[in-house]
Amino acid sequence: MTLFGRRNVLLAMFVVAAVTPFLVNDYYLFIANTILIYVLLSIGLNVLVGYTGQLAFANAAMFGIGAYTTGLLQVRLGWPFWLAFPSGAVIATAVGLAISLPALRLKGLYLAVSTLAFAQFTQWAFLNWETVTYGAGGFKTPPISFAPLPFSKEIGLYYLSLLFVVVLFVLAQNAVRSRFGRAFVAVRDSEIAAQSLGVDLLRYKALAFGISGFYAGIAGGLYSALLNFVSPEGYDLFQMVLQKSMIVVGGLGSIVGSILGAGAIVVILEALRAVKGVQEIAFGAILVGFVLFMPGGIAGFLKAKLRGWEEPLHRTQGGRPPPSTLVTPSEKSEVRS
Amino acid sequence: MATGQGVKGAAIGLLMTVAAMQAVQAQVPGVTADTIRIGSFGALTGPGYLYGKLPMNGIEVVFDQVNAAGGINGRKLQLVREDDRCDPAAAIGAVKKLVSEDNVFALIGGGCSNATFAAREALDQAKIPLIVMASVHDGITTPVAPAIFSTALTSTIESQAQLEYALAQNAKRIAVVSMRDAWGRARYTPLMEAFKKKNIKPVADEEMAPDANDATAQVLRLKAANADAVLIVLYPKPAAIFMRDAQKLGFKPLAIGQSGIADPAAFEDQVGSPGATTQFRTISMVRYTPEDPAVDKWRKAIEAKFPGDRLSVFNLFGIGSAEVMVEGLKRAGKDLTRDGLVAALDKLTDFQTDVYGAGITCTTGDHRCNKAPVWIAKEPGKPVRVLGVTKVE
Repeated sequence: MTLFGRRNVLLAMFVVAAVTPFLVNDYYLFIANTILIYVLLSIGLNVLVGYTGQLAFANAAMFGIGAYTTGLLQVRLGWPFWLAFPSGAVIATAVGLAISLPALRLKGLYLAVSTLAFAQFTQWAFLNWETVTYGAGGFKTPPISFAPLPFSKEIGLYYLSLLFVVVLFVLAQNAVRSRFGRAFVAVRDSEIAAQSLGVDLLRYKALAFGISGFYAGIAGGLYSALLNFVSPEGYDLFQMVLQKSMIVVGGLGSIVGSILGAGAIVVILEALRAVKGVQEIAFGAILVGFVLFMPGGIAGFLKAKLRGWEEPLHRTQGGRPPPSTLVTPSEKSEVRS
Repeated sequence: MATGQGVKGAAIGLLMTVAAMQAVQAQVPGVTADTIRIGSFGALTGPGYLYGKLPMNGIEVVFDQVNAAGGINGRKLQLVREDDRCDPAAAIGAVKKLVSEDNVFALIGGGCSNATFAAREALDQAKIPLIVMASVHDGITTPVAPAIFSTALTSTIESQAQLEYALAQNAKRIAVVSMRDAWGRARYTPLMEAFKKKNIKPVADEEMAPDANDATAQVLRLKAANADAVLIVLYPKPAAIFMRDAQKLGFKPLAIGQSGIADPAAFEDQVGSPGATTQFRTISMVRYTPEDPAVDKWRKAIEAKFPGDRLSVFNLFGIGSAEVMVEGLKRAGKDLTRDGLVAALDKLTDFQTDVYGAGITCTTGDHRCNKAPVWIAKEPGKPVRVLGVTKVE
C-alpha cells in the first residue's frame, strides 16, 4: 500500500472531516456539510451514469422529491424529521425505479430527453401543485433537534451527513466490486453483449436507477434540513448541470472520483465568489479545462500518475489483486451457459 | 538586572495593553478605528441581477459620497458584495460568509424574495443588523426579527395600496384579476382581507395562469360585471395579454398594477397595442423615475462610478436603503455596536431619503419601514410620470 494511495488519502480525508466542526467557523461548516450532501448525490449519479452508462437527467428531480417529501411530511402531516427523512428516501427510490421502466426501451439521447422531460414535469409540479407544494414561494421546514446529544443543529446535521456518506460510500464501493457492479459495467459497455452473457437488463437498469434515486432522496432530506427551506429553485436544470459536472470532474465510473468531484466543484464555486460577476464564465472555463486536459477526471488522473488509486471491479484478497489469469465463471457470476 | 526586569515588565505591559485593545476592537466585528465594513448579498449574475447588482451599485455611490465627506464619525464605509444567484442555498452561504469570514458589521441586501426568506434563520442566529433593499416577501419581516429592517415595500402593503388607490379614484365597482401561484397568492390573500376590512365585495374575481396567452374569457366576465376598476395581480406577461384583450374587446376600466410591473414604458411595449395602457397605473418603490432632474446627483454619480451604466430605478432602491443605513450608523454614535445600530434604526421616524415615497419609520413592533407605494403611469408618447403616493397604515 503506497503512502499517497487511495486508502490512506480517504482515511486522512475522513479524519479531517471528523474534526472539521471543531476547527472551522459557521460558514466553512455550512460548505463542508454541502460537500457531504453533494458527495451522496454524486455517488448515486455515478452508479447510474458512470457505471451503468444511462444518460439520465432526472437526478435533480429525485433530489427535489427527497427534499420536498421530507419537508412536506413534517409541515403538512406533522411528522418528526426522523420519520419524514427515511420516507423521503423511500419515495425518491420508488420514483427512480419507476423512471427505469421507459429506460429499458430507450437509450442515449432518447433516454436523456425523456428523463429531462420528467425533470421538467417535476419542476412544474413543485411550482404549480400549490395545494401540496406551496408553489413558487416554497416553505420553511421545522428546525431539527439532536437532543439529548450535546450537538447544535449545524454540528449534529454535519455528523449525520458524514455518517451517511461513510455508510453509503462503503455500500457503493462494495456494490460496484460485486457481480452487480460488473453487470452495470457490462450494460454500459454493450447491452447486447451483456444480454448474451445472461445479464437481465431490466433488473440492472432498474437497480441503478433505484440506487441513484435512494442516494438522491437521502441527500434531499439532509438538504432540506440544512437549509430549513424548500423551494423549486434548488432542483432545476442548473442543479442537474452541477451534479453532472461533479461526476465528470471527479471521474466517470469511479466512486472515489464522486467524492473528489463533489468536493472540487463545491470548493471551486465558493472560491469563485472572489471573482464576482464572472463566476459562470470562470466555472465554465474550468469545466472545459477538465474535459480537455483531464478527460478521465481527477480519479483518472490519479490512477495514471500514482500507484494505489486503482478501483478494480472485484474484491482484493489481503490487499493484493487476484492473479491475472482467466476468471472461471463461478456460481455467483452473471455469465450463464 | 533591574534594567532587564524593567524592560521585561514594560514589554509585558505593552503586550497586555495591545491585547486589551485588540479584545475591545474584536468585540465589534467589522469596525476599526477608521473603517466600517458593510456586507451586501443579492444576485450579481443571471436575470435577478436587477434586484442585486444594480441596488448594490446604488449603495456604493452613497458610500462614496459619505466617505468623500469624511465618513461617519471618522470611519470610512466599505462595501463587501456576495452573489446569491437568487438561490436559497447560495444566499445562506453568502450570509454565513459575510458574517463569519468577512466579519462585516451589518448588512444591506436581499434582492430575491425566496433567497432572502431562506437566509432569515442564518441572519437571526447571527443577530446581525440587515436592511432589506428589494425583497418583498412578508415572511422576511413578519413576524418581526429584532435585527431585520426593510425599506422595500412588502407584498401585503402593496395589496392594501391597490385597493386604497382604487377607492381614492372614486371607483365603485372594483374587480380583481390575479394569478394564484405562490407569488400571486402572497398578494391576493391580503388583498381579499383588505376588501373584507373595508366591507367591500369585488364585483368580479378572475384568475389567470402565469403562462396564459389569452384573456378573452376573463375580460368578458369583468365587462359583464361592469367593473370600473380592475386590480391586477399578475406578472407583466399575463398582465400585458389582459390589457391587450381588454382593449380589443372595448373594456377600458382603471387598471391598477403593482411593483411586479414596475416599468410602465417596458410594459407599454410588451402590450404592443397603441392606447391600451392609457388607463394603467402601477406601483414603484421610489418616487422618481430615472429621468427626473431631482435625481441628477445620483445619475452623475452612477455614470461616473460605473461607466456605461445608466441610472435605473433599481439603483434607486440601493441608494434609499444605503441612506437609511448611513443615518442609523450616524445615530448609533462613535462607540458603534450592533445593538446600538438596531436601537437607532428602531427609532427612525419619518426619515426623509432622496428616493422613497415618504419618510422611513421603523418601530420595535414593525420593521416594515417603507409603507408609501408610489403611483406611476405612462401616457402614450410621453415619459413615465409620478402620480402620487399612498400611505398605508
